[in-house]
Amino acid sequence: MRYARLLVFVLVVLVIMAIPLALVLARSYFLSPTAQPVKAQPIQFPHQVHVQAIGLDCTYCHRNATTSAQATLPPIELCMQCHKIIPAQGRPELEKLVSAFEQNQPILWNKVHQLPDHSHFVHSVHLSFGFQCSTCHGNVGAMGKPGVQQVRDLRMGDCITCHQQNGARVDCSVCHY
Amino acid sequence: MPRWGMVIDLDRCIGCEACVVACQAENNVPINTEDVYHQRRAIAWIRVERYWEGEYPNIKARYIPVPCMQCTNAPCEPVCPVYATYHTTEGINMQVYNRCIGTRYCAVNCHWHVRFFNFWEPKWPDSLKNQLNPDVTVRSRGVMEKCNFCVHRIVKAEQKAKVEKRALRTDEVTTACAQACPTNAIVFGDLDDPNSAVSKLLAQAEQEGRVYRLLEDLGTDPKVYYLKKIDVAAAAEPAATH
Repeated sequence: MRYARLLVFVLVVLVIMAIPLALVLARSYFLSPTAQPVKAQPIQFPHQVHVQAIGLDCTYCHRNATTSAQATLPPIELCMQCHKIIPAQGRPELEKLVSAFEQNQPILWNKVHQLPDHSHFVHSVHLSFGFQCSTCHGNVGAMGKPGVQQVRDLRMGDCITCHQQNGARVDCSVCHY
Repeated sequence: MPRWGMVIDLDRCIGCEACVVACQAENNVPINTEDVYHQRRAIAWIRVERYWEGEYPNIKARYIPVPCMQCTNAPCEPVCPVYATYHTTEGINMQVYNRCIGTRYCAVNCHWHVRFFNFWEPKWPDSLKNQLNPDVTVRSRGVMEKCNFCVHRIVKAEQKAKVEKRALRTDEVTTACAQACPTNAIVFGDLDDPNSAVSKLLAQAEQEGRVYRLLEDLGTDPKVYYLKKIDVAAAAEPAATH
């Protein structure tokens, strides 16, 4: 047992060095966007009903996805084009929509796919090169209540990997300006 | 691949500082108060330098708008330890804000003093919060910022061209300062495109011998060209009097 003290010392050093590494790994695991719980929304909007049951296209509501940087959420007026006919009585989520429309109040949705402010993503370019909405957003059409969840990491490594695979530019200024 | 450049005709510049205001509004540049000026920490991506020419009765004000020169061999770039400032393939000297760690070496190495450091978190009055440009990142405390030839406008135009499956048209993009200039003293465009406004202006001014660049002999090859002021009175004076 000549080296017992040395062995213990080395072991302690290794454990101390492993703590920050473990913290970093834990941070990237637990804080990854895909590990987050489903964000609460003011109205539990079921994509499933609108996409799978009725067969609406993504761009029917997210109208600017093919033409601008933002996919944009529809104004309540667009919802009400159909929902003024569909009875809302006895459906609490729909009643919220109708009352918001009648009181002329916007619905404050919580952004699910939240990129940092210093990165600029442009929907139109990606769609014009033939990418599907589901490539990044997953099968939103199958997501019912309580709401949409982020299924893809969408952190910088994810973006860069996809850009490299598809021969897109990986200049910093493509996204950061 | 375009090579962006700018021509500033000093004969047309009247020193109105419309370019300065346009730039501040376009690029979310924080408001400079008097206090900030006294501390020499004012941020102005383009500034108008003023100097006097002549003696008292015949004194004349002269103006030189100074944006970032977008040097081809930029002295600010090799000194950055984290590659936060780099050259794009289109010849723009870019600042990547999220990479910058605020060493300020680049500002020290810039001969034109066109790099600015955010000493504080930028603040706007509530009434101006909704006028911030969503295409431009608001820089936080501790990062460098500088003129980038309104790169967001260039990127936007290029993406529009991509969606419409065509090449970028001649003079499709312009910077905020060039757009705001009431006398068209500032012209922005592709230096490699012979049909662009800057190329035509440069070719014409080259023949008249009016083209120069600020601190040209440092060899950094700036991409902002100045056209000399044509002084009618001086030209009319007989040379023998001197």
